[in-house]
Amino acid sequence: MLAFKLAFKNLIGAGLKTWLNVLVLSLSFVIIIFYNSMMDGWDQQAQTDTIAWEIGQGQLWEKDYDPYDPYTLIDAHAPISPEMKSQVESDALVPVLITQASVYPQGRMQNILLKGIPSDQQLLDLPTSALGTDGDETKAIIGKRMAEATKLKEGDKVLLRWRDKNGTFDAREITIANVFDNNVPSIDNGQVWLPLSTLQDMTGMQDEATLLVTGSNYVPVNNENWTFKGHEFLLADLKTIIQSKKGSAAIMYILLLGIALLAIFDTQVFSIFRRQKEIGTYIALGMTRSQVVKLFTIEGGAHSILAAVVGAIYGIPLFIYLKNVGIPIPAASQNAGVPMASEIIPVYGISLILSTILLVVIAATIVSYLPARKIARMNPTEALKGKIQ
Amino acid sequence: MNTASIISIKNMTKRFPVGKGEFTALENINLEFGEGEFAGLVGPSGSGKTTLLNIIGSLDSPTEGTATVMGKNIAQLSHKESALLRNLHIGFIFQSYNLLPVYTVFENVEFALLLQNHTASERRKAVMDALEWVGLTDKVKSKPAMLSGGEGQRVAIARAMVKRPKILLADEPSANLDAKNSHQILKTMKQLNKELKTTFIFSTHDEKVMQYLDRTISLADGKVVKDELTVAANAG
Repeated sequence: MLAFKLAFKNLIGAGLKTWLNVLVLSLSFVIIIFYNSMMDGWDQQAQTDTIAWEIGQGQLWEKDYDPYDPYTLIDAHAPISPEMKSQVESDALVPVLITQASVYPQGRMQNILLKGIPSDQQLLDLPTSALGTDGDETKAIIGKRMAEATKLKEGDKVLLRWRDKNGTFDAREITIANVFDNNVPSIDNGQVWLPLSTLQDMTGMQDEATLLVTGSNYVPVNNENWTFKGHEFLLADLKTIIQSKKGSAAIMYILLLGIALLAIFDTQVFSIFRRQKEIGTYIALGMTRSQVVKLFTIEGGAHSILAAVVGAIYGIPLFIYLKNVGIPIPAASQNAGVPMASEIIPVYGISLILSTILLVVIAATIVSYLPARKIARMNPTEALKGKIQ
Repeated sequence: MNTASIISIKNMTKRFPVGKGEFTALENINLEFGEGEFAGLVGPSGSGKTTLLNIIGSLDSPTEGTATVMGKNIAQLSHKESALLRNLHIGFIFQSYNLLPVYTVFENVEFALLLQNHTASERRKAVMDALEWVGLTDKVKSKPAMLSGGEGQRVAIARAMVKRPKILLADEPSANLDAKNSHQILKTMKQLNKELKTTFIFSTHDEKVMQYLDRTISLADGKVVKDELTVAANAG
């Protein structure tokens, strides 16, 4: 306790030099916590949105389906078994039929994925109620990114061309019934959603689907045509992207932390050089050399404690503010192909804060100890004279 | 001296390496100091006064011979043991006071007690007593930078005396003081020597200090050339 008391006293007594180091170090604290909380917030939001809009509690994939290989789509469809049908009726399963097609907005062909989904499904957040089959027209819904890319808007009609299961081309005009806002590009970019029954009719794939989205009340079924894919699999790409973003961001705050630690190291070296008389006095007054080494190490390490306090003073209000208003994300980032909201609400985990504090305290203590070791080799009589050793 | 010996130096030599050779700072020193002495090591610069003081204070150790302080052979003490010896039994006063700049007067004096296991109230009482001895109770909250030279040295005396050491070593304590302040602090030290029976050993070449000494040990070129009892002009 004595060493801590003396160290803090010396540190505060050093005045401006201490506070400059503390300020830089506190910036490291705040930036590390800010960036990681933003990433965690993005991770959480992206997962929540992907679950709500696309994958539910998992998906049953037709055995040939491979989302990264469009050529599999021709064969990746299978009948929905009777026991699965009963779960479709209770909204425990939502079938989705996927096929390739083209649309011709403003006369220009654009290849798309045509997806059929029951208009009365409640499992996913997709506004499929707009696909109601009133009238003769074929209603479709598209996401905001697709609308932007094709310059289509609600009420517009566009020519759709597709192949049926025998490979025969067919075409018809569809009406855009709704353009929905969303944060999940994988249900939006290059996709047009139709009523499932309509698409089944169009393709001749009655009662068939490419995948089925499962709900929380889904009861597993054994069927060799279908393979269950859980969250771990379906969210793996998303997690990989976020982890790689975290990794690249680490370079930034390692640099910042490095600058702060270098400042502490420099201060320590300078202190030990400049405060030789003081070191000699401590020893003359009865401190052991190891006690003086400990005092100087704690003094350097205590920068990090002060930095945590200073960081908290301006960081906590900032973090609370960001938690309330969110962190605005540029529109361009939202088109990067990964789920990203226009505002990310940061997530501040206690483990994030504690691990950041621990990291900075340990790093500051190590860089403080390295120069302080020199004290152990100091001759106290020379130190008292303030001679360079 | 007729009092018990607390410092015993026998056939002691101290050499320092200088380049490829050696410099002999002290040569074949034999001295005894008893409890309550008020003695001075006098001599010109380079005569070995400070080196002798450092060895008695266990900040350094002899090259040959023995220096026994409070029954401990200085050469055989570990860093920890010599720190404990200083902590419990030896006080230091330096030419440039060596006060800790970020601490107040109270904290500077308290520092010596912090290294011992005293309660806060014990420390407070001891510090206030020490500051009363040196007449600085009104400066408890002042920082060293706010003190005059005389006041700074009086704080250093209080810091050295607060733990009531058996031995107080003062290295040129008046070198940075004017005549008035020199006499004032020497009177204070003489008073404490009488009241607390602390052994004072000075290193000095200041005539003002010599007036107060009961024993004067003259050093020249690392050797004791004279060791005599004196009648202090300002005794009592």
